[in-house]
Amino acid sequence: MSTNVPAVDLHAAPTGERPKNYLNCTTSFMSWAGTLDHKRIGLMYLVGVSIAFLCGGVFALLVRIHLWEPHGMLFSNSGYNQLFTLHGAFMVFLFVIPAIPASLGNMVLPLMLGAKDVALPRLNLLSFYLWVGGAAFATYSIAAGGFDTGWTFYTPYSLYTNKAVVSIGLGIFLLGFSSIFTGLNFIVTTHKLRAPGMTWFRMPLFIWALYATAILQVLATPVLGITVLLVAFERLYHIGIFDPRLGGDPVLFEHFFWFYSHPAVYIMVLPAFGIISEMVSVHSRKPLFGYKLIAFSSLAIAVISFLVWGHHMFTSGQSTYAMFAFSFLTFFVAIPTAIKQFSWVATVWKGSIALNSPMLYTLAFLIIFAIGGLTGIILGALNVDIHLHDTYFVVAHFHYVMMGSIALAFFAGLHHWWPKMFGIMYNETLAKIAAVTIFIGFNATFVPQFIMGSQGMPRRYATYVPEYAPYHQASTIGAIILGSGVALMVFYLLASLFTGKKAMVNQWGGVTLDWHTPTPPPLENFETPPVVTHEVYDYSTLDVETTRTPLR
Amino acid sequence: MSHDGHHAVVIPAPGPEFLPHTVAHHFDTPVQEFQSMKLGFWLFLATEILLFGGLFAAYFYYHEWYPETFKIGGQQLDWKLGAINTIVLLVSSWTMAMGVRAAQTSQKQKTLVFCGLTVLGAVIFLVIKFFEYKAKTEHGLFDFTQMFGAYDLATGQVPWFTDIHNVMVDHTGAPLPHGHLFFAIYVTMSGIHGLHVLIGAGLILWIMKGTAKGRFHAGYYLPVDLVGLYWHLVDLIWIFLFPLLYLVP
Amino acid sequence: MFAHLIQDPAAVKNYIENPASGKAVETDYFGQLTSLASTFDHVDNLFYFTYAVCIFFFVLITGVLAWTVVVHRRKTYDQPAASNTTHNTPLEVVWTVVPLIIVMVMFAWGFKGSLDMMTVPADARMYKASAKQWNWTFSYPNSVAQSYGELWLEVDKPAAFLLESTDVLHAFFMPSQRIKRDIVPGRYQTVWCQPTVLGEFHLFCAEYCGDDHSKMYAKVHVVSAEEYAKKPWDVWKDDTPANQIASAQKLYSALCSSCHTVNGTQLVGPSWTGLFVKDASGKIVGGQREVHVGGAAGPKQTITVDDAYIIESIKLPEAKKVVGFEAAAMTAFDLPENKVKGLIAYMMSLADSK
Repeated sequence: MSTNVPAVDLHAAPTGERPKNYLNCTTSFMSWAGTLDHKRIGLMYLVGVSIAFLCGGVFALLVRIHLWEPHGMLFSNSGYNQLFTLHGAFMVFLFVIPAIPASLGNMVLPLMLGAKDVALPRLNLLSFYLWVGGAAFATYSIAAGGFDTGWTFYTPYSLYTNKAVVSIGLGIFLLGFSSIFTGLNFIVTTHKLRAPGMTWFRMPLFIWALYATAILQVLATPVLGITVLLVAFERLYHIGIFDPRLGGDPVLFEHFFWFYSHPAVYIMVLPAFGIISEMVSVHSRKPLFGYKLIAFSSLAIAVISFLVWGHHMFTSGQSTYAMFAFSFLTFFVAIPTAIKQFSWVATVWKGSIALNSPMLYTLAFLIIFAIGGLTGIILGALNVDIHLHDTYFVVAHFHYVMMGSIALAFFAGLHHWWPKMFGIMYNETLAKIAAVTIFIGFNATFVPQFIMGSQGMPRRYATYVPEYAPYHQASTIGAIILGSGVALMVFYLLASLFTGKKAMVNQWGGVTLDWHTPTPPPLENFETPPVVTHEVYDYSTLDVETTRTPLR
Repeated sequence: MSHDGHHAVVIPAPGPEFLPHTVAHHFDTPVQEFQSMKLGFWLFLATEILLFGGLFAAYFYYHEWYPETFKIGGQQLDWKLGAINTIVLLVSSWTMAMGVRAAQTSQKQKTLVFCGLTVLGAVIFLVIKFFEYKAKTEHGLFDFTQMFGAYDLATGQVPWFTDIHNVMVDHTGAPLPHGHLFFAIYVTMSGIHGLHVLIGAGLILWIMKGTAKGRFHAGYYLPVDLVGLYWHLVDLIWIFLFPLLYLVP
Repeated sequence: MFAHLIQDPAAVKNYIENPASGKAVETDYFGQLTSLASTFDHVDNLFYFTYAVCIFFFVLITGVLAWTVVVHRRKTYDQPAASNTTHNTPLEVVWTVVPLIIVMVMFAWGFKGSLDMMTVPADARMYKASAKQWNWTFSYPNSVAQSYGELWLEVDKPAAFLLESTDVLHAFFMPSQRIKRDIVPGRYQTVWCQPTVLGEFHLFCAEYCGDDHSKMYAKVHVVSAEEYAKKPWDVWKDDTPANQIASAQKLYSALCSSCHTVNGTQLVGPSWTGLFVKDASGKIVGGQREVHVGGAAGPKQTITVDDAYIIESIKLPEAKKVVGFEAAAMTAFDLPENKVKGLIAYMMSLADSK
C-alpha cells in the first residue's frame, strides 16, 4: 500500500527478545483494570460478552429441553417464565447490543482509522465498567428472586409481579449508558482522529457501519434509560403513568419501549453488516461492489429505523393512520438492506474466494440473513402480522437475524481478527467443522419454529397443545446440535491461546490499515503514523507473501 | 511508552499563577483535542435532551387524557416561586457565561467569583424547591413519609398523595380522575431536573478547585467551557419545565 | 439454584387437551395452513405470495453464491480475483427498483386486508370476552349464561368480540380465524371474524401474562345454525340444582382443577375432598381445616368449613391459608354469587362420593 508505513522486513534476523505489544508491555493487574488502551478494553469486553453469551445459551438450551414435552419437562411454569426472560435479557442487553461495537469495534476501529486510540479513552474505560455494573445487577437480580416479565417487561405485569424488576431495571440503565458512551466515543473518533489522507470515502465499511450504529446508540438509548427509570419509579412510588389502575396506559409503555428497541435491533445488526462487508472483500480478495451505496444504506437504515417502532404493536389497537405509516416505512427500510445483501453477493461473485473459517461464517450469514430479512417482510404486512404476531414465527424471524446473522457475523469477525489480536492461529479444521455444525444446528432449531408459528403456536408458552410436539422436539434436537457447535468453537479458540501456532504476518491478505501494523499491535498501534494515499480496498497493493510468512 | 518520535504536546502557562497543559498523548494537536472533547460533549447533551424528552412526552400524553386534572393540578403549584427560580437560573447562566469568559482571558479571580455566584444560584434554586415541596406537605397535598407504600386497590389512592383539603375536584365538586397523576409527573420531572442542578453545582465546584490551582487559562479552558454548556442545558430544560408545569394551567 | 423451580414429577398439571376433531386446522405436506376456516382469505393469499417471493430470492442468492464459490474458489495462495467490477449501474437500479415495487404491492395488499379485518360488519353478533389471569369468560348476546373456557360460534355468521381485561395485558388469538387483538386493561377493544368451517378450534392467549399464560386456553366450537339455535352454552346455566352442580363441575375444570383436585391428591393447592363430610347421621356438614389466619405467617387455627369460609377464600385467598400450603399463591376470583353457590353445592356433593 502506498503509505509511509514501512513494509515489514521479512529478511531481518530474528531478535532474541519478543517484541513488545499491547498484550505483554505491562503485566500487572492494575495495568489491565485501569487501562486506557482500546485494545485491552476490547479484550476485556470480549471476555465479558462471551461469558454472557454462554450463559444466555445455557438458558436457551434449558428452555428448549423443557419444551420437549407438551406439559413441560423440567420446570414449573413460573420457573420457565423466568428462564426465557433471563435468556432474552442476557442475550439482548449483555451480548447482542454491546458485543460487536464494544469488543471487535474497540479493538479494530482505531487501527482501521490509523489512530493511536479512541478519542476519549477514559470514557471508554467507564463504558466497560458500566457494562460490568449492568452485568452485576443482572446477576444479583437472579439471586434476588429473578424476574419473569419477558425481556420486554410490558406493564402492568412488570409493575405487579413480585420479582426483582427494579434491580434488573437499574442494571439495564447502566448498560444503556455503557452503550451510549461507546457510541459517543466512536462518533468523535471517526470525525476527528482519521489518519491524514483518509477521506470519508476511503474509510473501511466497518467504520461506516459502526458510525451509523453510534448515531443510533446516542439518540435512541436515552429513551430506554428513561423508560426503565419510569418503570422503577412506578414500582417504587406509583407515578401511575403505566398502571391502568392509577389512570395510566400500558400501550404508552409499549410506545416508549419500542421507540428505543426498534433502533436497538439496528444497533445490533448494523455492526454485523459492517463485519460482513469487510469479510466478503478480504476473503474474495476483491473491492466492495457498490461501496458508496453500502455506506449510505447504513445511514438510511439508521434514520428510517426511528420511524417504524409501531410494527411491534400492530395488534395493540393503533389507529389506522399509525398502522399505515408504520407498515409502509417497515417495507421501505427493507430496500437499503436488500441493496447491501445484493452488493455483498456481487462482491463475492468472481472473486478469489478462500473457504476459510471466517468466510464459512460469512457465507452462512448471507444465506441465513436472506431468510431472516425476508421473513421480516412477511411480518411487515398488516393482515399477515395480525395472525403471526406473538407466535413462534416471530421468534424464528428474530433468531434468524440475531443469532443466525449477528452472532455468526460476530464469530466471523472473531475468527478473522483472532490472529491480529493474539498473533496466533486456532485449529482451522476444527473451526470449519464447528462452522458447519452451527449452520446445520441453527437451521434445524428454527425452521420448525417458522412452521409451527404460522400454524398458531404462541410464544412464551411453558406448555403447549400436543399437536405442536413434533416441531418442538425437532427444534430441541437442532438446539443441541447448535450448542455442540458453539461448545466446539469455544474449545478450540481457548485452546489456541495455549497451544496455537504462530499466525502469518498478514493472515488473510487484508489491505486496510489494521493489517499494516505489527501483529499483535504495539500499544501505540503504529510505529510511524500512517498517511493514506490509496483507495481503501485496493488489493493490487497486497504483498501476498505476507499471507504465508509466519510471525517471528 | 513507545518511541513514536513525537514528544508530548504542551500548552505553556500564560503566567506564574497558572499550570501548563499537556495534550493527551493520543491526540496530535491541541486543536484536535479541543474539537474532540467539544463534539463528544455536545453528543452527551443530546442524550440528556432525549432523556428529558421522554418525560415531556409522558406529560403531553396525559395532559391530553386528563386535561381537567392537569389544569387544576397546575393551579396548586406556586408560580411565583417557580418564576423566582426561573430568574435565578437565568442569572446563574449569565454568571456561568461570564465565568467561562474570565477563564478564556486567564482571569483567575474573576473566574472563581463568577463560578461561585453560579453555585450560589444553584443552591438558591434547590432551597426554593425544598420550600415548595415542604409547602405542599404542609398544605396537606403530599406526605412524603408515605412515599413507598402500596396503593389502595379499590380506590386507586396513592399513599403519598393525601390531598387532605380535597383540592383536586372539578367545578361541580366531583373528584377529578386520577388527581395524583399530575403531581406524580411534576415530582418526577422536577426531581430529576433538581438532581441535574445538584450535579451541575458539583461540577462547577470541581471547576473552581481546578481554577484555584491554575489549571484553566487562555491556552486551556475547555473543562470550564464544557461545564458551562452543561449548566446552560440545565437552565434550558427548566425554561421548558416551568411554563408547562406552572403557567399553562 | 433452580431447585425450587423444578416441577414435582408426581404432580402432573392437567391442561385442556386438544380433542381429536374432524375439521381442526389442517396442514399440507409442507406444514402450511390449508383449510382456511375464516373469510380472511387475503391473509393466506398474501402469506403465500410473500412466501413465494422469499423462496425466489433465497434460491437466487444461494444459487449465485454456490456457483461462484465453487467455480472461483482460491486454489493457490496468490490467485487474484477473476473480476474487479465494483459498479454496474443498470444492475443496481434493477435490484433497487424491483424489490421496491414488490414490497409496495405487499404493503398495499396487506393494508387493504387489514382494513377489512378492522371493519366490523353491522350485522355481527356481539360477544364479550373477558380475560383475566388465567382464564376466559364469554358472554353471549341475549343470554344470561356465561361460559368459561369454551365458546360457541355459528358457522358463516360474523361474530364480533368486545374484549376486556381485569388485570394485565392479554391477547385474544384464534389462529383458525387469523385474528388476534391485544386486550389492554383499562380499555375495550373489538375484533371480529366469520368462521366458515364447522369444528373445534383453539383460542390462545397471545400476550404473556404471567405464570399460567400457556394454560389460558379456550375451546371454540363452530356449530351449525340449528345447533346454535339450541343455545349450547346453556350447559353453563345454573337454574336448577342439578344444572347448578353440572355447571359448577365444568367451572371447576376450567378455573380450579389445575391447582385443586377432587380426589385427595394435593397439587399446588389443597384438594377439595374433606371440605364437606358426612356426619354420623348421614348429613353433609362442614369439615375441619387447619389454617393460618390473616396470611401464611399468621397464627394457626382449626376452623369448621362453611359457606362464608369458601366465599372468602375465593375472593381473598390470603385471608385463611391452609397449613402446608403457605407458599402457594392463588389468584383471586371475582365470581358472581350464583356461581360461587354452585361451587359450594359441587363441593358438598363430593361428600357423597366415596
